[in-house]
This record gives sequence, structure tokens and C-alpha cells, in this order.
Amino acid sequence: MNELKPLGIYIHIPFCRSKCQYCDFYSIGGSRNRRLVDSYLQALMLHLKETGALATDYVVDTVYFGGGTPSFFGADNLRRIFAEVQHRFRLDKDAEITFEANPDSVTESLLRKLRAEGFNRISLGVQSDRDDVLQKLGRPHNYEQAKTAVKLARACGFDNLSLDLMYGLPNQTVLQWEETLRHVLHLRPDHMSCYGLKVEENTPLWEYREAANLPSDEIQAEMYLKTVSILQEAGYAQYEISNFAIPGYESRHNLKYWLGEEYIGFGPSASSDFAGKRYTNYRDIQNYIRGVIKQDVPILSECESIPPRERAGEYVMLRLRTVYGISPEEYERNYLMPFEPLQKVILPLAEHGLFEQRNGNWVLTPKGFLVSNQIIVQLQEAQDASEPLAKKR
Amino acid sequence: MTDLSKIRNFSIVAHIDHGKSTLADRLLEETNTVDKREMEEQILDNMELERERGITIKARAVKLKYKADDGETYVLNLIDTPGHVDFNYEVSRSLTACEGAVLVVDASQGIEAQTLANTYLAIDAGLEVLPVVNKIDLPAARPQEVKKEIEDVIGLPAMDAPEISAKNGINIHSVLEMIVKEVPAPKGDREAPLQALIFDSQYDSYRGVVVYLRVMNGTIRPGMDVQMMASGAVYKVVECGYLHPKGMVPADALGAGEVGYLTASIKTISDTRVGDTVTGAEHPAAEPLPGYKTCQPMVFSGVYPADGSKYGDLRDALEKLKLNDASMYYTQENSIALGFGFRCGFLGLLHMEIIMERLEREFNLDLITTAPNVVYEIDKTDGSHVEVYTPLNYPDPMEIAQAYEPYVKASVIAPPEYVGNIMDLCQYRRGEFKDMSYLDQSRVELHYEIPLNEIIYDFFDALKSRTRGYGSLDYELIGYRPSKLVKLDILLNGELVDALSFILFADEAYARARRICEKLKENIPRQMFEIPVQAAIGGKIIARETIKALRKDVLAKCYGGDITRKKKLLEKQKEGKKRMRTFGTVSVPSEAFMAVLKMDE
Repeated sequence: MNELKPLGIYIHIPFCRSKCQYCDFYSIGGSRNRRLVDSYLQALMLHLKETGALATDYVVDTVYFGGGTPSFFGADNLRRIFAEVQHRFRLDKDAEITFEANPDSVTESLLRKLRAEGFNRISLGVQSDRDDVLQKLGRPHNYEQAKTAVKLARACGFDNLSLDLMYGLPNQTVLQWEETLRHVLHLRPDHMSCYGLKVEENTPLWEYREAANLPSDEIQAEMYLKTVSILQEAGYAQYEISNFAIPGYESRHNLKYWLGEEYIGFGPSASSDFAGKRYTNYRDIQNYIRGVIKQDVPILSECESIPPRERAGEYVMLRLRTVYGISPEEYERNYLMPFEPLQKVILPLAEHGLFEQRNGNWVLTPKGFLVSNQIIVQLQEAQDASEPLAKKR
Repeated sequence: MTDLSKIRNFSIVAHIDHGKSTLADRLLEETNTVDKREMEEQILDNMELERERGITIKARAVKLKYKADDGETYVLNLIDTPGHVDFNYEVSRSLTACEGAVLVVDASQGIEAQTLANTYLAIDAGLEVLPVVNKIDLPAARPQEVKKEIEDVIGLPAMDAPEISAKNGINIHSVLEMIVKEVPAPKGDREAPLQALIFDSQYDSYRGVVVYLRVMNGTIRPGMDVQMMASGAVYKVVECGYLHPKGMVPADALGAGEVGYLTASIKTISDTRVGDTVTGAEHPAAEPLPGYKTCQPMVFSGVYPADGSKYGDLRDALEKLKLNDASMYYTQENSIALGFGFRCGFLGLLHMEIIMERLEREFNLDLITTAPNVVYEIDKTDGSHVEVYTPLNYPDPMEIAQAYEPYVKASVIAPPEYVGNIMDLCQYRRGEFKDMSYLDQSRVELHYEIPLNEIIYDFFDALKSRTRGYGSLDYELIGYRPSKLVKLDILLNGELVDALSFILFADEAYARARRICEKLKENIPRQMFEIPVQAAIGGKIIARETIKALRKDVLAKCYGGDITRKKKLLEKQKEGKKRMRTFGTVSVPSEAFMAVLKMDE
């Protein structure tokens, strides 16, 4: 028998108690409509069944329930979906099973049920330690609830716990952000994601962004660099632009995205990179349900086969998000492209402290991460202008 | 041919937005020249660009047939005019082809600068000017006050002016009746030697140049040989006829008093210059019609493809545009920073903007335009005399014995309360006051002699903002005068960018250098490293700013593995960078080349 290939599964739960002011992920705020939930579950089940049949030579080693707010969706619904995953796919015995949760919808019974079912990682959306800020952002919980949720999760046996925080919030100062980090460190998570608030179009925040008193880019840059150093000091190693972990607790599922491994996404707006194709589902739950069940509308908004040369560009783009960086040797071997044009871009940047070399790989420094878009564009331009190695020979 | 007494030749004069094109549309509808169904909005402005800007760039004409209340059928020729100081000459030629002008004034906004400027052109051309008050159905309409304004400011009787709404088709009939009754019928002898005024021409890839003209005397017939009196070129007429909005309608002859077109397999539009007189080659007229001027480009600018490999495309596009625009000039130029491109000459800054926009839009090109300049003349120490069209060729200061710059005689007309503001502005622009006279109680005319260089960038805008839009400007070249000039160079990250160099008056160099460095700092995005921006004269640095290093770009999440989205974001960024040119390690957006000019905040 051939060796099984690893696969990640992402399941999108597009339901929330309420929409946050800044959020542009696809989800429906407000109470759960019984009929909609039922037909969504039905569609997911069918989609998992059909896809499972295509993935017989894969072993699923990560499952990730994201949202939306999976905890708000309820333990029973999540259990049913996970049971179907186990039924239709081969699941690795050490698989990482994550679900996202908000403090207001985390109950002891939910945690116990999910832990018993095999869920072993919880990612909790805390965002801030200041209740006035949480309220302004439209978060449906306070910091006290977050603290309680962490205690409950630990008590229920979740020994892999991640917290999400945001910086660059309205009126926030660097000192306040440092204070937030120190408070949250008292909760002793195993993993932290710290995202800079990005004002997205078609969100309420976009409408009043001018009046929101958001910190300047300079201040946000300072907040970012402080995050890296404070968390480093506390024992959390940075392994991606916005992600930090006690060594051994990195998110295996998210790493798949950045290391170019395969994953399949289920539900509206979910993305996949599977069997040489990259595709994304429409951001519309009704469309998804109809497309899966009746099969009379397409569910994919995009689908592309990625040619090797473009894979080389993705390698640069994705790997540079991580502290593993890009390896000249691996690059040339896998994509048959010369690394030298990239080296030419990298060296002067390294002189300015934006790149460093680790174990033979080129890695962005925290200062470099801050301007990674610019750097990636420069590298890809150098790449676009270069000839493949194979042709030269 | 229509009997002279049944012809009315007129144009419509109006400020931008006062409804000239809309009124033209209604006239076409009312006379059934164009079916209401087929009516494309504003049919006269048929360049896409014209429609968007709401201005008419190239004049056109149409023939309308109108059965008047007196039972007679008249031929009304509507000649459209452009409306900007850059095209004053074209306007005056179009007006010369008419006997009357309908002056459209907005019932809520009243008279504005352009109304005045063009009205005076019409009055100077001896036209019967007939006011019409438009947009009377707007809530803010004040037709009586506006009529009084027309009488007071322009001195035209206006109390009986039709009150119309071109948009909603109110009272259009009264405008037509007015044209028939008030516009004089053309005069002219159809048996006399041919004299026809060219008021526009256009290149058509099938017929060659189509010449739009008004016959003053004589008759044009297909097959006859005609001569352009200024250019001397002789052609055999292939076709002549009338102008319909949907195309050309051939006719057997075009006689005195009539407006129409001719084609004669003409290959180059420069043979058919606006204002020239067409006459018969066999029986030529004794003299051409008065008022012809050759159009000299006044403003020169470097035009480069943003993507250097598109040089050939730019050359082809310029060749095509030139077919249609005799007033444009171009020649090849080579910049160290920007590579191959062209030095282009324009009538003025608006003309330049329009050409640039047409190049970008109709030919899908991304362009970099360098600072516009005038033509300087230099006596060199070796005794030779050179004309400098581009800063790239500006001689070394050691070789210059004397530099000269072009001066214009500028005439500014505005209400008296703005005289102080105008004088401040002209003085600041090195203008030399000549005289001032009251045209009437409400209008003053000031004459200045002023370096052309000072008015080509933003003088007109500055004038308008200092006179609340009432000021109008006209100018003509009066010759060259000795001047103290220097070439200012710009260095980015220590490297000279020749495309940013420009020539200016020496006494202004320090102040301008400082402002330009500030402007560049504003317009060049932050890069990975700190970038010094320096201005220098002959190697001596006289101003410096620093573009700080970029600290942070967007740290977008790569959530849920949506790599496609992230890739699109980066693609967008790459697209943005394509609009920039890289000098050494510095990326400069194309807008920065022009932004350095906008000096007057």
C-alpha cells in the first residue's frame, strides 16, 4: 500500500451571536434559525461524504472548526459534524482537533462534551482585557468571562489552549497594549495569536474609521515589536507573523497553510488546496446548501490549478510568514528556479536588519515581518524576471 | 443649395455645465433632425472623454431643418465650439463661421467667467448674441435677476430672453423662433471666386481628412480643384455635403452661406489648418479670409511609457493622434532615468491633459509626464544661438552668455472688486503691469506682460480662485526677453534623476527647490530604507528632505488558508508598482513627476 498523505480539514461555522464591528469573515449574526442550521448540517454531511471518497489515500491529521463562532453553534452540532469527519475520512490517532470559541458561549457542558469526543485544542477569542474596548468593538463578552472560560477549559482537560488578541484598537496606546499582554499572560495559554486590527471595507468600522482614533502605523509597528519581545521573554516563540507558542504547541493546522501542505475547506467562504488545485467556496450559505444538495448551482467562486512557477511564488509568500523562512537549496530543487536573483534582493535588506539567516534559511526579522508585503513583492518581481534553471542547462 | 435668406448659422456659447450640449440635443429633437428614440444623450460631444468632462474639445457642426411659425422652412446650421482658453483660437474661428450666437446662462448661477470670455469673442466676431436663460425649473432659479445681470454686465438686452429648461424640453420652440427672427441671414456671392473658412478638420481612416467649413463666397463642387491658401496645398474635391449628427450627407454643391464638409483624399491634417481659407485653384480669390494664425505649441513636456517596453506603442499612438490634432507636436527624446520617450508640444496645459488622457484611455497606455516647460533661447559663449525645448538639453552654465525666456501679453478681465487680488497674483508671477481700463462699471481689464513660464502651470486656476470664477484670461506671445535662468536638478538617494530636472528663474530657485523637495517627499511612498531627496544647481545642493523608511505595511491574516485572497492583495500591490519607475532602489509613482509643479496651494 502507498504511503498515506497528510490532509487538514477546515469546517466553517458561519454563525455568530452578533457581528463584531471590524469583522469581514463570512458569518450570520443573530439567533440561529433552526431550519437553516438543519439544512446546513445536512449539506456539510453530504459534502464530507462525497469528498471523503476522493481522499482515500490521505490521512487527516488536523481538523479545524473556525467561524463564525463554533462554540455558539453548540456542542451537539459540532459533535455530529466531527463524527461524520471520522466516518468519511481516515483520522490520524494523534490528530489535532481545534475549535474556535468565544468566552460568552463556552459552558462547562460544551467543553466536557467536545473533549470527550476527541476535540483537543481550543482557540478562544479574547481580543482585549478592557471591557469598554470589547463593547466598542461589538464583542458579546467581557474580560471576566474570558478568564472564566480559560479556567473551565483547563478544568475540562484542554491542555492545548490558544488565545486571540488584537492590537491597534481605537484609542489604544502602546502602554495599554503591553498591559493587555501582561494580563493575558497570567492566564498561561499555550499559544497566542496577536493580530493588528485591519479596517476592512463593508464593515461598520470602515464607515467610521476616520472618527475611530486608530493608532498610527508608527504606533502599531511599535506595538508589534513589543509583542514579539514581551512574548519571547515569557517563553512564547514567534513561529509566524502573528503567532506565538510555547515550543511544541504551534498550530499544526495553520502551519499547513503556510508550509504549502494540503487541506480541504467545507462551508461557505472556506478555501482548499487539494490535489493540485486551489479553490474557494462562495460566501453564501444558501448557495452552499443548494450547490451541495441540489447541485444546480456551482459552489466554487474560484478554482485554479497552480503552475509550478506560481508555486514558487507562493513558497516565497507563505514561507516568509513563518520563522522557517525560505531555503535556497529547497527552492532551487523544488521549483528549478535560480535563487541568486532573490539573494540580490535579500542581501541589502539583511544589511538593514530586515532579514537574517537561520540554519541556512533566510528568515524575516520582526522588523522585516512588518514590511513583509513590500519585501515579498520585491522578491516575486525578481522571480518573475528570472529564467528557470532547467532552461539554462 | 438653400436660398441665402433661409439660412441661419449660429453657435451656442455657455459656461461649462450651463447646458450647452443639452440644449443642442433638444434642438435636434425639436426639429426632428434626430428621432427621440435614437437620441443618444448629448450627441454633439461624441468623444468619450468629452462626455465625461462635460466639455467640448473639438468643434462639430450639424444642419437642422426647421419649419418656422411663419410657414417657411429654414436651414439652421449649429456650429459647436470648445470652451477653454487653450482653444481660444478654435473658438474664434468657429464663431467667425456664424452670424449669431445663443448665449446660455444658468438661471441659478448667473454669468461666469467663461460666459464672458466667449461672449466677447462672439461680439468681437460681429455676431448677434441672443441670451437664453436655462434651468428655470430648478428651485434656485432666479431668471429675472439673471436677465438683469446679463444686461448690466454684458450690456445685451435680455428682458425678452426665452426662459427654458433644456433638460426637460421647456420652451425650446421659442429658442428656434428667436434664431430664425434675430440671427441675420448670411451674405455672400455664390458666383464669386471660392472663399471657404476651415473651422475644424478630422482624420477618417477611409476618406482621409474631412474638412469642416463655412462657405463665404463662391461654390464648392465635387471634382473641382481647391487650394488651401495658407499651406498652398492643392486637392481635387472628392465629395462635399452637409453634416448630420449621424454622419455626412453628400450633396452636389455647397454654396456661399452654407456649412458643410469636403473630402479630397487629404493625407495630412496639417494641410488643413483651422482658420485657413479654401479657394478654387483655377479662379482663386484675391485674398484669404482674415484672422488666420498658425497654432504654435507653447508648452513642452516629456512623455514616457511607464513601462519602458511600451515605447513602440506610444509612438504609434502619437502618430494616430497627430492625424487628428494638428496643434500637437512631438519628437523623440531620451532620458537617462526614463529611457526612450517623446518631447511633446501643446497649446496649453488643458490641451496637454486632454492628450495625455486620450493616450492613456484610447490607447491603453500608462504614461509618465515630466514637468512642462516653455521654449527658452540661449546665446552661448561660443557665439551660437540655441533653442531649448527640454531641460535635458540645457547647456552647462559655463557655456551660457545670455538666456532668454518667452513673454506674453496677458489680458485679465474681472469685476473691479478683484483687482487687488489679480495684481497680487500677477506680481507674484513676475508680471509687469501695463495698464488697466474699465470696460464698463462692472468690468475691468488689466494688461500685464508676464513670462509665459509663469502662466502655463496653474495660473488660470489661481486666477479663478482669486476672482471667484469671474476672472477670464487671454494671452498672446510678444517675444523673448533676457532672463536669469538656472536648471534645477533633483537627486534621489544621491542619484540624479534627469527627468525631474527643470528650468526656472534664478531668484526663485531656493524657495522652489525647498518646496519641490517637500512635494516629492509627500508623493514618493516610503520605501525599505531612508531616502534623501535633494535639489541641486550645478552640483551644489540647495535643499534636502528625507523620506523616512517604511515601518509597517498590512499584516493581513492568512485566515482559513485563503491564499488566493492574499495573492490578489500582492498582485494589486505589484500593479501599483508598475505605475512607478525605479531609479536605483527608489520607486517613484508617475504622479510625482507632475505633482512637483502644483506650487500654488
